[in-house]
Amino acid sequence: MGYGEKGGRPPFKKFKAFSKYQEDPRKGFAEDDDVYGSDDAYDDDEGKTKDFSKLELKQDHTNRPLWACGNGRIFLETFSPLYKQAYDFLIAIAEPVCRPESMHEYNLTPHSLYAAVSVGLETETVISVLNKLSKTKLPKEMIKFIHDSTANYGKVKLVLKKNRYFVESPFPEVLKTLLRDDAISRARIISENVNGDGFTISKAAGEIEGTHDELLNEAEVAAVAEEKETHSFEVDPSQVENVKQRCLPNALNYPMLEEYDFRNDTVNPDLDMELKPQAQPRPYQEKSLSKMFGNGRARSGIIVLPCGAGKSLVGVSAACRIKKSCLCLATNAVSVDQWAFQFKLWSTIREEQICRFTSDSKERFRGNAGVVVTTYNMVAFGGKRSEESEKIIEEIRNREWGLLLMDEVHVVPAHMFRKVISITKSHCKLGLTATLVREDERITDLNFLIGPKLYEANWLDLVKGGFIANVQCAEVWCPMTREFFAEYLKKENSKKRQALYVMNPNKFRACEFLINYHERARGDKIIVFADNLFALTEYAMKLRKPMIYGATSHVERTKILQAFKTSKDVNTIFLSKVGDNSIDIPEANVIIQISSHAGSRRQEAQRLGRILRAKGKLQDRMAGGKEEYNAFFYSLVSTDTQEMYYSTKRQQFLIDQGYSFKVITSLPPSDEGPSLNYYHLEDQLALLGKVLSAGDDAVGLEQLEEDADEIALNNARRSHGSMSAMSGAKGMLYMEYGTGRKGQGQIKSKPKDPAKRHFLFKRRYGAT
Amino acid sequence: MPEVRIIAKNFMDMVASMPAMKLDKLYENGFICEAILRSLPPLAKKYVIQMLQIDVPVAAKLLEEWVLPDGVSKHRVAVDRLVQLRVFLEAVDRKNEKTYKVNPTYQRSLQKLLVQGGTLPRESMPSNITVRLPTLENLEAYALEQWEWFLLQLISPAQADKPLNISSSLMKVFQRRLLSQRDKEAPKLTESGFQFLLMDTNAQLWYIIREYISNSEERGVDAADLISFMLELSFHVIGEAYSISTLTDFQRSIINDLADLGLVKLQQGRKGSWFIPTKLATNLSMSLADSSSRKQGFVVVETNFRVYAYSTSKLHCEILRLFSRVEYQLPNLIVGAITKESLYNAFENGITADQIVTFIQQNAHPRVAERIPCVPENVTDQIRLWEADLNRVEMTDAYYYDEFPSRDVFEGACDCAREWNGLLWEDSKKMHMVVKTEVHPYVRDFLRRQK
Repeated sequence: MGYGEKGGRPPFKKFKAFSKYQEDPRKGFAEDDDVYGSDDAYDDDEGKTKDFSKLELKQDHTNRPLWACGNGRIFLETFSPLYKQAYDFLIAIAEPVCRPESMHEYNLTPHSLYAAVSVGLETETVISVLNKLSKTKLPKEMIKFIHDSTANYGKVKLVLKKNRYFVESPFPEVLKTLLRDDAISRARIISENVNGDGFTISKAAGEIEGTHDELLNEAEVAAVAEEKETHSFEVDPSQVENVKQRCLPNALNYPMLEEYDFRNDTVNPDLDMELKPQAQPRPYQEKSLSKMFGNGRARSGIIVLPCGAGKSLVGVSAACRIKKSCLCLATNAVSVDQWAFQFKLWSTIREEQICRFTSDSKERFRGNAGVVVTTYNMVAFGGKRSEESEKIIEEIRNREWGLLLMDEVHVVPAHMFRKVISITKSHCKLGLTATLVREDERITDLNFLIGPKLYEANWLDLVKGGFIANVQCAEVWCPMTREFFAEYLKKENSKKRQALYVMNPNKFRACEFLINYHERARGDKIIVFADNLFALTEYAMKLRKPMIYGATSHVERTKILQAFKTSKDVNTIFLSKVGDNSIDIPEANVIIQISSHAGSRRQEAQRLGRILRAKGKLQDRMAGGKEEYNAFFYSLVSTDTQEMYYSTKRQQFLIDQGYSFKVITSLPPSDEGPSLNYYHLEDQLALLGKVLSAGDDAVGLEQLEEDADEIALNNARRSHGSMSAMSGAKGMLYMEYGTGRKGQGQIKSKPKDPAKRHFLFKRRYGAT
Repeated sequence: MPEVRIIAKNFMDMVASMPAMKLDKLYENGFICEAILRSLPPLAKKYVIQMLQIDVPVAAKLLEEWVLPDGVSKHRVAVDRLVQLRVFLEAVDRKNEKTYKVNPTYQRSLQKLLVQGGTLPRESMPSNITVRLPTLENLEAYALEQWEWFLLQLISPAQADKPLNISSSLMKVFQRRLLSQRDKEAPKLTESGFQFLLMDTNAQLWYIIREYISNSEERGVDAADLISFMLELSFHVIGEAYSISTLTDFQRSIINDLADLGLVKLQQGRKGSWFIPTKLATNLSMSLADSSSRKQGFVVVETNFRVYAYSTSKLHCEILRLFSRVEYQLPNLIVGAITKESLYNAFENGITADQIVTFIQQNAHPRVAERIPCVPENVTDQIRLWEADLNRVEMTDAYYYDEFPSRDVFEGACDCAREWNGLLWEDSKKMHMVVKTEVHPYVRDFLRRQK
């Protein structure tokens, strides 16, 4: 480990999370933070140069695309002729750190290798291909690491065949080792048809897909393609969870891969659904599916695609291939509707075979196979349910699901996952997400709860291919006005800081200018994001635009979104962080972010994702097309405040994906003058007064349940607020005022009890 | 008198700034005369050739009539240059009119050179004696490598493991303006040291040669001898071997220094030893502007502020360290990141955003060099913004006053400071104020009087 020691740390991080993982499923996740921190290489060994210059360069190094370092870091030249092959290979075995235009960086981690092994790559294949691609001789440390990490991975599979669970392995000695464990041997069911060792022997097809094999010589390819003999023994279905746990790295250390031999499943009824002919998966969607169904069975795992790249088609396609009952979990009711719609759009499933289960719509399940779309909350809910939903949940519990489709897996807390997974019996789990980053770095738990990462697309490649929009990202620097900054610096205003920098009149003016510009000059559809509820209301009211936040009812949300989609008069909507995830707004192509959640990289990426869906003609979007940029992402920051620091941190993920933020310092242009609000000092001072007089809890962040990042970022600080504020009963309900234009009025505000009105609005409605 | 002040930008400027006596002595050497002639602007060249055979002074007015009206400025530049270099001697005739004539020494040497042809004081050695001569490519690589060693030694003596022949006292002379050393601390690069490192090779070489020459008197060496040898050297043929035995004692004493700088390569055979001039030597007589030899770039800067330098050179690594955080060193790649901290460090050392941007632009790897812009816009913008950020705060030395005995005294003091235009800040509620240092004595006197 020569090189690593210089850095003061062992070169690779080892698994140790699992000890806690079991003791207390709920707490275990929250504690050991550093264990999997290896993703974030920037914070590693800060400032120290790692010297690998002694590695021996091969003669023909210019023809080879990558450098591999002893500590697991890999650098890949994207202009190499072997780039495409090398990329496919690296994405399978390593975790991408950053992928800008010319040079990519990857990290080899135990998890990434686990994923590699589970999609069928073997230790020796990994090493020999890596060696072929490397400009230098592979460092000994790396070879040892690959050996160590993969020695036990992928050796054992848990297969559900004809509703019997089998533990399967090509290595009988491994099975023997497992059986030496009490718990496992007790769980074993001994059948009659056995050989000397007591294992059933069968043939399994080799990997069908051969992208990585191209790089190997023919003899090696032959070896890979050859059918393999597998040995297996059956286990008691009721003991499966136990057996799985015994195999985790903290015990026997043979983590099991889960595969579903759905073609041979005769017990569960088939669901008659096909992809419609117009559903043409794109190359990267095909690739991700091929990773999932590589050997004719369905593997559990996670597929990472940027927002707007068509994750739902991947999900629907997977369900169509398996053709069994499918349980689809989404984060909220709006996205439940959207998933149900996607199923109907892409597949031939019949109307009555698909049902939604949310607090608002409780459709009963009919027939023997079908698709149920619901939210994580509904399934994991622990409290008392209505009789009707109790029945539905009972049905969900008792059914055996062919596919458990999980949307936005990165946002759901781990304990909820465990609960959902333990409640529902599924043969195969597919997680979908756009951003495999979490501020708590606990993303790696997903590896063992769902499965390894099967595929991750490169954002820039998709942009170049015209599959997602080419976004111009900009950071707009808004200087604080004198008065606001003076208040910002005062110690007694520490709780109002956020409100002060968000309500900075210069920021407001910049925002107003951008809205005007994009609405009038380009006819764009704009989303304005604000995490701060006070600011959200102030901005939306002042600019007379509709808004949606946590307390906005489902019906109301749907109405507003509908108006935004269809009406020519509603071109801008204000969203709080409820809009971060899974609200599908394909029309929007401009985002203005006026306040955001501290340094959350995920939120930034999710928000950008709202406008990634490609619009316009494909040929215009391709490299060299007519429109260089067709979407715009503005992040407004007040200079000299905390926001600047957060903003840099937030952008890190997108920057690592190859996006660049252009800094704009001169918005609004100085000649705008009084045409924008808050030009006069007295207006600014009135606004300042409003901010200062508002209660501390009113100007804080919006609190939503189950926000994992929230918990991670606010670890130590807990905010207090009145119950009425939390529940939304403080009167901060959505309302819209007439804009004076004709044709407006698709959205009608609900009649309100004047007593419940927010004091700020009381004055406005004084007459009622 | 020359109308333009000389700023020594190249070798010829150096020559021009020498005293008349020395210059005249230099012009006894035909090669120097030719080198001077080559370095002149085209019009000046023409004048010299035209006047070469004229022994009498020519009136300035007559000279002026040779050019069309729109060429006057070029004419002036040419004549000034000639006068600076004492190729033309200026005089006033009986009618009180300005006249020019060619410097007789210069005239004689150049005439002789034209008539008899130039012969170097030494001829290249026959190839049967000199074995293992390096190819031109190897020679160039050698020169650059040598130069890099020298630079590395220069900026961080601890880094270089191969000692150079240059005496440490001479090295100190070179470092004089590039490094500063306080007490026992490791020497630090000065502002001009940073700028020096970001210059291209010819400019750096010129800087060192200038120091070498201007310091020569202290070492008991005649600057004229030095200059004449160097100019002579620039007429030698690259890659040919010249016997060391043809050198004078003085020249032999400095040839090792020149080898260290990469100007010549020394080799030893069975029958004597020889030196081989490199490109660096023959470039000496060229002015900076002529240096068209661009090295191939090696730096790739990505939109995420990562810097990838295709280089094995320790020097490059050191240069990158000036403004970025070097994270990985691979056999032929240096990986770093431009961070706010690393840039602030650079700015503190007097390096400017423009210099950094120019450096990464000029050294852009061919892979990205065709791209426009070759360095991502957001990176260059950010570098400049960070620099601008630093300049927002202006420091003023000041004195802080509080605990005034009464409001009257406080207001009086404020007025006093205001009168002197030195009141920086006041808080009338809490009775605090800050005044400029220059004004402090007046305010102090004022307060004393109040007691």
